[in-house]
Amino acid sequence: MNKVLAVIRREFIERVRTRAFLIGTLLVPALAGIFGYLPQALAKRQSATQGIVLLDAASGSAGADADSALAGLTFGSGTDVHPRFSVTRLPASGRLAALRDSVVATIGLKDGPESAPEGVIILTDSAIASGQLTYLGSNVTSFRDMNLLDSTLEPIIREARLRSLSADSAVIRAAGVHFRVDATKVTEGKVTGQSGEASFWLAYVVNLLMYMTLLLYGVQVMTAVIEEKSNRVVEVLVSSLSPFQLLLGKVIGVGAVGLVQLAIWGGTGFYLTTALGPRSTPMNEVGGAAPPAFTMPAVSADLIIVVLVSFLLGFFLYSSLYAAIGAMCNSQQEAQQANTPVTMVIALGMISMFALINEPSGTMARVLTFIPLFTPIVLPVRYAIAPLSVAEVSLAALTMVLAILAVVWIAARIYRVGILSYGKKPTLRELARWVRTT
Amino acid sequence: MTNAIVVVDHVTKRFAGHVAVQGLSLQVSRGGLFGLLGPNGAGKTTTIRMLLGIFTPDEGQVSLFGGQGTGRALSQRIGYLPEERGLYPKMRVLDQLAFLGEAKGLSRWDARKRARSWLQRLGIDDWAGRKVSELSKGMQQKVQFAGALQHEPELIILDEPFSGLDPVNSQVMRDIVVEVARAGRTVLFSTHIMEHAEKMCDRIVIISGGRKLVDGTLAEVKREGGKSHVALTFSRNGAAARPILADRSIVASVDDAGASAEVELASDVEAERLLKALVDAQVGLSRFEVVEPSLQSIFIAKVGADARTPTARAEVA
Repeated sequence: MNKVLAVIRREFIERVRTRAFLIGTLLVPALAGIFGYLPQALAKRQSATQGIVLLDAASGSAGADADSALAGLTFGSGTDVHPRFSVTRLPASGRLAALRDSVVATIGLKDGPESAPEGVIILTDSAIASGQLTYLGSNVTSFRDMNLLDSTLEPIIREARLRSLSADSAVIRAAGVHFRVDATKVTEGKVTGQSGEASFWLAYVVNLLMYMTLLLYGVQVMTAVIEEKSNRVVEVLVSSLSPFQLLLGKVIGVGAVGLVQLAIWGGTGFYLTTALGPRSTPMNEVGGAAPPAFTMPAVSADLIIVVLVSFLLGFFLYSSLYAAIGAMCNSQQEAQQANTPVTMVIALGMISMFALINEPSGTMARVLTFIPLFTPIVLPVRYAIAPLSVAEVSLAALTMVLAILAVVWIAARIYRVGILSYGKKPTLRELARWVRTT
Repeated sequence: MTNAIVVVDHVTKRFAGHVAVQGLSLQVSRGGLFGLLGPNGAGKTTTIRMLLGIFTPDEGQVSLFGGQGTGRALSQRIGYLPEERGLYPKMRVLDQLAFLGEAKGLSRWDARKRARSWLQRLGIDDWAGRKVSELSKGMQQKVQFAGALQHEPELIILDEPFSGLDPVNSQVMRDIVVEVARAGRTVLFSTHIMEHAEKMCDRIVIISGGRKLVDGTLAEVKREGGKSHVALTFSRNGAAARPILADRSIVASVDDAGASAEVELASDVEAERLLKALVDAQVGLSRFEVVEPSLQSIFIAKVGADARTPTARAEVA
């Protein structure tokens, strides 16, 4: 047992000492932070007031209302507040087509004047009646701008339509009550304050994390095996340790490194989401002046445990497969080819998430959970979407353990013969003989 | 032999397609130097691997220290230097040695202490904190040598220990091996360099094609090799000697080194007849001596045909 400990310690220390480990450990949370926050930060930022032309060919006060509503929007905060739009309203009854063409001609010119408008809104009676408002602009790809126009103009148009039907002002007010489904995730009978979107992202991140770490550390075990074999260190070692002890030490050592790294990443995520607090969306902000702020998904302690356990079990399963492949091959290039089937299976597990997300408790999800090759990815992803019962998790873990015992037994036998066999890669039949020989 | 430290009893090992070792029996008694000789592919490495428990024999038994248990279970009492040397290139020298010690069952602290003193003894303690990949090949060999000896094993098994070493390092290693053997420990080493074996070994076994050809103390082996050996050194006209050396009515076998040769006379041929033939052919001789056969010539005579026509073998090294 002491010998196995020595192998574990060697694997662990030699790996943790490398620069790659340090960089990987720091880089992943940094990148996650950047990818999580940067797009939002960038999207929120607006640098200048945009000019908008409102061609008003509608009867009644709809044009004036739209003008003041749009002009009332601001960006920035504190003392640094600027209007979002500078609106130019042109009465356009009767000459709509000509005006539209002349305004459009000034939009989006490369060398146009500073004051050139960003877009033009064409407000007509038929637009009010049909609810189909035309906007021609250079910024139509901006979700934020379009959402803003949508949410600002929608109540005004609705009101104008109702007024044109001579609706009572009380009716108009009642019709203006905004409707939306507030989807909030409930976990184990407790309201979490986490939106559906946040749950999706959490599952997505867990999925990616499991895929990456299983692949990364599985391949590391394979590389280490080939290295030992091509360095010929392995022969001295197997004169002192049994190949099984060596394999065990190697897998545990590399696994421990992975676990430490995962724990650092998970811990960072846990800290970011709990200590900084899940920022809740303001839900009853009528009119929805801005698109709802993104809520950081809550990373619960039991999710972290499920992720770590899944990683550990998945790692044992896959790394012993990778070790057996490494033992069969003579060079990294050869191994790269030979490990494709295993890598494909892991990728398949990752892809299955997109089938799971719609029906996390459906038949397919349940079946996949109990196929040991998929369990390590499917289980934590399902758990991230909706927690599973302790019984289901334990049963999945148990099937994994049984599968691991079988796979390790076979892999260890291939490893034992493979590490001392140089030359041609074995055929399947030879592999079978390796497994059978005592 | 009651104090046998290694007993190999009718051992056979087969690999896909060929038999590497066939019905091999040998005994190594405690203390001294034992040589396992044979041409390339004779089954030396396979035999050694079976001693260590890396391979299990298909037939027969290997027993170490007069008892049960595989080489691996007893590995703390065995030091091993494999033919294919290997260290972790990115590991520091001291860490590497300490790890090898730990793999032999030493405690971490003890392993580091011994590793340090061995590095000192081999004169490479300045390199303790360096990565193995920064060391020269000779220094790496020394590190590995230390790895095989640092836990003070009773039985030391060295597979081709002096191959690939320059004369100076080779001498350093030989001195250490001899010193270790003199201290009462048992050294078993394989080699195909007969000069080493002849100078160092108390007892040898020659194997070829997985079978044992010769077994005994060096003196016994030489005695059996016959007295009718003549060492020749040519001073001129050596070419004229060649037809005589090829004459099977005079010479049974010859180990021709060009400027010198060692011949085994055909049975019932006196040395004088060879001398006369050489003189008649006007061959200049600076040496003509009836000698004990050298291990080299015994080896060539015994292995001879076998080594010249090696059967196709899958590489198992």
